[in-house]
Amino acid sequence: MPDDIAEVYRSTYPALVRFLYRKVWDAERAEDLAQEAFARALVHRPENTRGWLFVVAANMARDEARRAAREKRHLTLLKSEPDAMRSAPEDEMDAETQRTRVRAALEELTPRDREALLLWDAGMSYDEIAAQTGLARGAIGTTLARARRRLVEAYDAGLEGGQHVARG
Amino acid sequence: MSHVDEGTLHAYLDGELPSAERAVLEAHLAGCATCRANLTEERALRERATAVLGAARPVERPAPPLEQLRREPKRSPWRVRRSFAWAASIALALGIGYYMRSPSPDARTSSAQTQGIALDQNPAAIAEDKAPTRPQSQRRPSQRQAARPVDEVVVAQKAPRPDSAAPAPRLADSVKLNARAVSGALARAELDRAPAAAAIIVDGAPLRQLTPTTWPVINRRVARSILGEEPVGLPGLATRAFRRAPGTDGTVVVEQALDSSTVIQIFQRPAYPYDSSGSGTINEGRSRPRAYANENQARERSNLRFGRFVRGLRVEITGPLSADSLNRLLEQVAPLPPLP
Repeated sequence: MPDDIAEVYRSTYPALVRFLYRKVWDAERAEDLAQEAFARALVHRPENTRGWLFVVAANMARDEARRAAREKRHLTLLKSEPDAMRSAPEDEMDAETQRTRVRAALEELTPRDREALLLWDAGMSYDEIAAQTGLARGAIGTTLARARRRLVEAYDAGLEGGQHVARG
Repeated sequence: MSHVDEGTLHAYLDGELPSAERAVLEAHLAGCATCRANLTEERALRERATAVLGAARPVERPAPPLEQLRREPKRSPWRVRRSFAWAASIALALGIGYYMRSPSPDARTSSAQTQGIALDQNPAAIAEDKAPTRPQSQRRPSQRQAARPVDEVVVAQKAPRPDSAAPAPRLADSVKLNARAVSGALARAELDRAPAAAAIIVDGAPLRQLTPTTWPVINRRVARSILGEEPVGLPGLATRAFRRAPGTDGTVVVEQALDSSTVIQIFQRPAYPYDSSGSGTINEGRSRPRAYANENQARERSNLRFGRFVRGLRVEITGPLSADSLNRLLEQVAPLPPLP
């Protein structure tokens, strides 16, 4: 019997948005995709709604990948707009810079490590991550340990070497 | 037992170690200082990783009602649910029309121009998003209306939207009814009974429920600089603040007061760079790079259902009014008169 989608929607929507956000790096786009995933779930009525949603979301995010390069250029271009940048308060600049660094750090991970980490952060269990990624359940801990280490290392490396990022 | 590997420690910290293994691990930890030190280290790493990821999370906004998603796929963006709630905004609009009977030429032009912007919802056009340019007819739906005087601001909407597949709201009726009963009292009644914090927009789809009071306040000139053209708002209403979204998507929110206790927010950000090129008034000399255009096209495709375009801006509105009222207000949004 299919899950109660309304309940899954309540419990999982924010996590799905967050998951998607870290793939498409656009909050509204992430919301749109999450809503689209749920809209499809309403039609398909999958057995395991949660797992199904994340599979669909991951696929949709992959389809977005070709836009990623363009968005990257977009970010670069925005940074070079002097008026907009000068007007940004310091703390906001920091938040944006930080986001850029997290993104860069995540990109240092292998796709599989990154996927496992994002799924974990979206609230999925080891069993669910294993089902989604095809990894053995016993390998999830190791995968996450490696993903976390690389994320933190890449982030810290960005902090040391990436001061220029804020200025563009 | 040899020393515990980091994968097991992480599974333990994640609460995902099967109970039998957990018991063995805990027994080992009790007697192994090295592994206890490792555990401490891995715990710190795990927390740092969570914190790093947490630095890049989207602002959480409430999910729209699930029923909304159910209806969405075939829905027309401009089909507006009918109810009595149009009253407030029509009354307001008439008031604005009155207020603006003798504005500056700039205001005339800009308000009138906004009447011509219809949302491009032609599926064929969506399919053509990747094409380098759009057919002229789709790009500029109705600039031919550009010379309409401002005090026809409401009446002008009797004209059907040329691009709209759905029937436009029958505003003629609304206006007629209001001609009898236009009064502040009507508007007040609507405001009073509107559910608090109802969000936008077309077809009752809530989009922005978050009040971004934490967004940095900017001044008008900065808003213009971010948007690449004059910010838009409801003409005649006091503007309380301009704010700028955190991040780089170029969103600006204009906060305006309907009355002392009712603030509406008008979200806006650049849409098509070439949408505004034809108007020839603002935005000149600023050509947006191609990548930006594509990215916004992608956005527009997904967000079509939620907003409207006013010149080169994608505009959304929110406030403590019913969806219908907000929809009506949205239709009145126009570029704010240029600074002196």
